[in-house]
Amino acid sequence: MKVFVIGLDSAPPELLFSEFIDDLPNIRKLLGKSIYGPMKSCIPAITIPAWICMATGKTPGELGLYGFRHRKNFSYNDMWIAHSLMVNEKAIWDRIGEKGLKSILVSVPPSYPPKKINGCLISCFITPDSSVNYTHPKELKSEVEKLVGNYVFDIVFRKDDKDSVKEEIWEMTEKRFEVIRYLIQEKEWDYFQFVEIGLDRVHHAFWKYFDKHHHLYEPNSKYKNVIRDYYRLLDKEIGKTLELIDLDEAAVVIVSDHGIKRMKGAFAINQWLIEEKLLKIKNPEVLENPIKFEQLDVDWANTIAWAWGGYYARIFLNVDGREPKGTIKQSEYESVRDEVADAIKSIRGPNGEKWDTNVFYPEEIYPTSKGDKPDMMVYLDNMYWRAAGTLGYDSHYLPENDTGPDDAMHSEYGVFMLYMPEAEQKRVDLSIYDFNKIILNLFGI
Amino acid sequence: MIDEKERKYTTVSIPIQLYEKIKKRIEGTGFTSVSDYVTYVLREVLASLEEEEKEEVFTKEEEEKVKERLRALGYLD
Repeated sequence: MKVFVIGLDSAPPELLFSEFIDDLPNIRKLLGKSIYGPMKSCIPAITIPAWICMATGKTPGELGLYGFRHRKNFSYNDMWIAHSLMVNEKAIWDRIGEKGLKSILVSVPPSYPPKKINGCLISCFITPDSSVNYTHPKELKSEVEKLVGNYVFDIVFRKDDKDSVKEEIWEMTEKRFEVIRYLIQEKEWDYFQFVEIGLDRVHHAFWKYFDKHHHLYEPNSKYKNVIRDYYRLLDKEIGKTLELIDLDEAAVVIVSDHGIKRMKGAFAINQWLIEEKLLKIKNPEVLENPIKFEQLDVDWANTIAWAWGGYYARIFLNVDGREPKGTIKQSEYESVRDEVADAIKSIRGPNGEKWDTNVFYPEEIYPTSKGDKPDMMVYLDNMYWRAAGTLGYDSHYLPENDTGPDDAMHSEYGVFMLYMPEAEQKRVDLSIYDFNKIILNLFGI
Repeated sequence: MIDEKERKYTTVSIPIQLYEKIKKRIEGTGFTSVSDYVTYVLREVLASLEEEEKEEVFTKEEEEKVKERLRALGYLD
């Protein structure tokens, strides 16, 4: 049996299975014969590590991948960016490759630098640019470029020129599907997986024109249907693509790494840590204007904690014997961590409203937590609020994102649907860690 | 019939001089054979090569470019 996996970054069950389904004839047809339902993401619910958790069935702790960046050996400033060589666990394509079965992967994160697999692959959006080798085998790159010219890994969506954002997303997606259709026809495969990142970008860039509950909702904007139109584009491209696959012989999966929801704002967490006297700096005068954390002259010898921002916050504690100028005694680590966690959980919203903030300790949520793990991971108000690592604002609460317009946040539940020729529709609840088992099972592994 | 243990090993050739040198070196150490020592050294060397390869995935310029993009995409703040 062939297995074709359509990865839609950030597709949420509410839109794909309900709100837009009547606009999506091809997906609806598959759904009628699918085992389907919401799929709970990993913690953190973010593109890296989520797609590779799915493919390996391993947690971020087991993979030692907690996001896009990691601290190098407990240093204050050095970091490394996640890439494919940091994945040491076997993914679906490695397992079936051992049985001689071939895979094709298109932009499944993290896949740069391109690893040798039994089959071929095009790397993902962490590829520096198209001048580097981004395919396996190397020769595939020229085939791709002959077909579509410049292969587009990603676009930058946080800008005000929304027309060009829209145009670039459409172009990227159309090109990707052209490449996918070429590979389906020209290469041998048993397992095919691609990830379309465009959906995530379209959600982030156009959410406030679509969601009337968004605090910056703009009714009747000319962009109000952009998200719906993009789902229609995906459906059209998926329909055209599935014509090339014998659906009496193949399983088709549609899956996402996490969901999406409106962003209520960004919270300047390092600014809050300064106010709580947990983070001390020597140059407070720089706080008159928005600045990056790296621009602070941190008084490490008196600092307890600092944070990295993003869709979730990572909190680091300054521990004696671990950090260069650690202040927390190892024997007091647990009690200090609990105190900091309690303080974070008690943060309220801009109008004094209670937040549903979740704090996670890596070793409590994973079977093992390898590598450069944070001391805590935080979902501010259950991810309705973004964590801004930058600081220097009048208020800790920013109505807009700190680094360019962005309207959406991740939600915990993505989607899973598995069409099989003989299947009847059935609704299920799944976790991201079930994916690997389900697919290997289809291959009899 | 080859038993399970034997199937896990294979033979490689090294110069006799080197063999003798290693034999001398491991005298009085925890290594019980030249093969043990050679296996240990090769594992160490390969692991550090792999580490280096991981470190060298991005050039300085590329790393900056990727970081900037990830920041613009909202993954790093």
